[in-house]
Amino acid sequence: MATLYHKKEMTSGLRSYQAIKVKREKTIKEAENHYSLNKIHDEVMKDTVELAIKNIESEQGKIPAPFAFFLMGSAGRSEQSVWSDQDHGILFDGKDDLQPYFLKLGTEIMRGLEEVGYEKCDGKVMSSESRWCQSITSFEEQIIGWLDEATWQSLRHFGTFFDSRVLIGEETYLEELKQSAFSFIEENPHIYKRLVDNVDFVRKGIGIFGQLLPEQSGSHSGEIALKTTTFFPYVNALRLLSLLEHETVPQTIERFKVLEAKYSYLKEYQVDFEELLAFRFEYRKDAKTYDEVHYLPLSQLNKEDKQLLKYFMKKGYALFYDTKSYVEEACVKW
Amino acid sequence: MELSLVNNLWVIIGTFLVLLMQGGFILLEAGSTRMKNAGHIAGKTIFTVGISSLVFWAVGYGFIYGEGNWFIGLSNFFYGDASFAGEGLSPAIDFMFQLVFAAIAMTIAFGGFAERAKLSAYVVFAVLFSALVYPVVAHWIWGGGWLADHGKQDFAGSTVVHLTGAMAALAATIILKPRIGKYNKDGSSNDLAGHNQVYTALGVLLLWVGWFGFNGASTFGVEDAFFGFVILNTQLAAAAGAIAAMLLVWALTGKADVPTTLNGALAGLVAITASAGFVEPWAAVIIGIIGGLIVVGSMRMFDKAKIDDPIFALSVHGTVGVWGTISTGFFATPELSTGMDWGKPGLFYGGGFEQLGVQIMGVAASGVYAFVVSFIILKVMDKMMGGLRVSEEEEIIGLDLSEHGSYGYPENIPNPNDTKGA
Repeated sequence: MATLYHKKEMTSGLRSYQAIKVKREKTIKEAENHYSLNKIHDEVMKDTVELAIKNIESEQGKIPAPFAFFLMGSAGRSEQSVWSDQDHGILFDGKDDLQPYFLKLGTEIMRGLEEVGYEKCDGKVMSSESRWCQSITSFEEQIIGWLDEATWQSLRHFGTFFDSRVLIGEETYLEELKQSAFSFIEENPHIYKRLVDNVDFVRKGIGIFGQLLPEQSGSHSGEIALKTTTFFPYVNALRLLSLLEHETVPQTIERFKVLEAKYSYLKEYQVDFEELLAFRFEYRKDAKTYDEVHYLPLSQLNKEDKQLLKYFMKKGYALFYDTKSYVEEACVKW
Repeated sequence: MELSLVNNLWVIIGTFLVLLMQGGFILLEAGSTRMKNAGHIAGKTIFTVGISSLVFWAVGYGFIYGEGNWFIGLSNFFYGDASFAGEGLSPAIDFMFQLVFAAIAMTIAFGGFAERAKLSAYVVFAVLFSALVYPVVAHWIWGGGWLADHGKQDFAGSTVVHLTGAMAALAATIILKPRIGKYNKDGSSNDLAGHNQVYTALGVLLLWVGWFGFNGASTFGVEDAFFGFVILNTQLAAAAGAIAAMLLVWALTGKADVPTTLNGALAGLVAITASAGFVEPWAAVIIGIIGGLIVVGSMRMFDKAKIDDPIFALSVHGTVGVWGTISTGFFATPELSTGMDWGKPGLFYGGGFEQLGVQIMGVAASGVYAFVVSFIILKVMDKMMGGLRVSEEEEIIGLDLSEHGSYGYPENIPNPNDTKGA
């Protein structure tokens, strides 16, 4: 049964965003690997959201309904690097007229996270925006609307939503919405094909001479765009399979684990993806800005590491195209 | 007599085509730069064609073709001759054909000025380049100067027009320094993308067609319909250049970059300009391919060297101009060289290194002269005019407004002086 958010859940007791920021800077340096790094991010964001709730309750009164604050994007997938931007939403169990309260909360969370060190999301995927801060009923209608519309943009919103997990509050809300989405897609299987189309563009990181293809101009010239050329094929492939198999876990690694019983070919790719996470952690753990974490200067890589990066890319492309074929074959059967 | 008149007609048609190439340059340059400078680029092109025409009439033609010495001609100033001997070209038609070539060299040189030079710098340099730089090189090769005595081959001006213009552009680029925002503190370069690739592509196509006059009418007649062969070579080289550049940049970066493809076509045209009348069609294809490949490497080289070349004049006309000139040293056939009493066959046709050596010497001497004299002129101008470059604020506002008082696209760019509210 849903309960109102209660202060007893608060754990850190940190009284200012600056204090949380100091904690973040200290603890993040101590991260030993990708997994401990993401655990630290979760703790920092939890502290921040708890403080934001406290601040809003002191100004606006107690939270009027049970809710869930959830993470999306790389945070939702627990795949954040040292620096990360914000992607989050709020679901509340109440009438739509409660939205203004929760939008204020979302705005306070956005402000707090920014102060702590998480850049605002360019695409406004934040609980301060009405699209990402709604009652469960309205959010469900919105998701079904996205799927029904099935345009490139609406399915982008859905894909963003689908890589989500609850950080604070009622876990079941998100689960219920994902189940509703599965049911709708099941009744309208042509959407699978549209979901494939939505992520079908794979930015190549390797040229026809087998060379790495860095950025050609701008402040990142000579650097590889890690996110788009290397990570996305793995992430998108596993999201497609999860949708096909009605799996709600958001982390790519966890998706590998739950899906490989049925898809044995995933086993070898899971190892590659874990190594890729470790590779990025090693090379980007000293990054100074959010912008920096997505790019890897070729000049920093020795010959072996360049080969390894190409290997990750090739395996990612193979995984994506194998998965795409599988999903498209499944579509034909319907 | 009838054949002679047809020859004159063909050359004046070529003249019109070459003059129309200025329209190609307007579209090419405006499309390759930002919209805040579009009106300026279009307007200055027309204006400098005016200056170079008057200077060519006053002294340029005389310095090239007048009676003089190995270095320069010294008669026929303020040219005007209504006579026609009934044979050969009418002097006025010959003059007009030469004039439009000089104007092309001038426009190429101004590629190095793009988006940051004062309009007054254009005016002064147009006069001095048209009088002191272009005519000297043209005299050496086409006007009976010392390189002509060595049998230097330059059918329609890879060296005389393109390299000379590009060397002046290089001098200007070095003195003017890069545009604001081109290079970051860490040394990386930003792509200050041109505002209209369609304009750029139309500009290239217009230049391509104009080149049929540039190279084709450089036969100075229609005898044996040789101009058709020259145009065939021109077409093949341009086509090969475009394809080669696009495939190379695609392979290197994973993207078939449009501006690079367009520069490839121009590279093919520049490369074949020296050799269009000396080589066989298969060689024209090779010359065009190599031109297309060189231009890609050259664009990257200048960018790495932090030489900001907004419309790639240095690569397209300079680096490829060098290649085009040298190419006849490899590919000139006996029939089209000694057979026509213009130099010797190239290395691949048993001519040894003689013609190749002449070509290299010619390109080096012409390039050095054009660069050094342009550099000196521009340096002196820089001192005397209080700088060649507009102020930082004017550059940011755009030269349309700062130099001419109105935007090329007035609806699309807000006037920065318009302040609303508090």
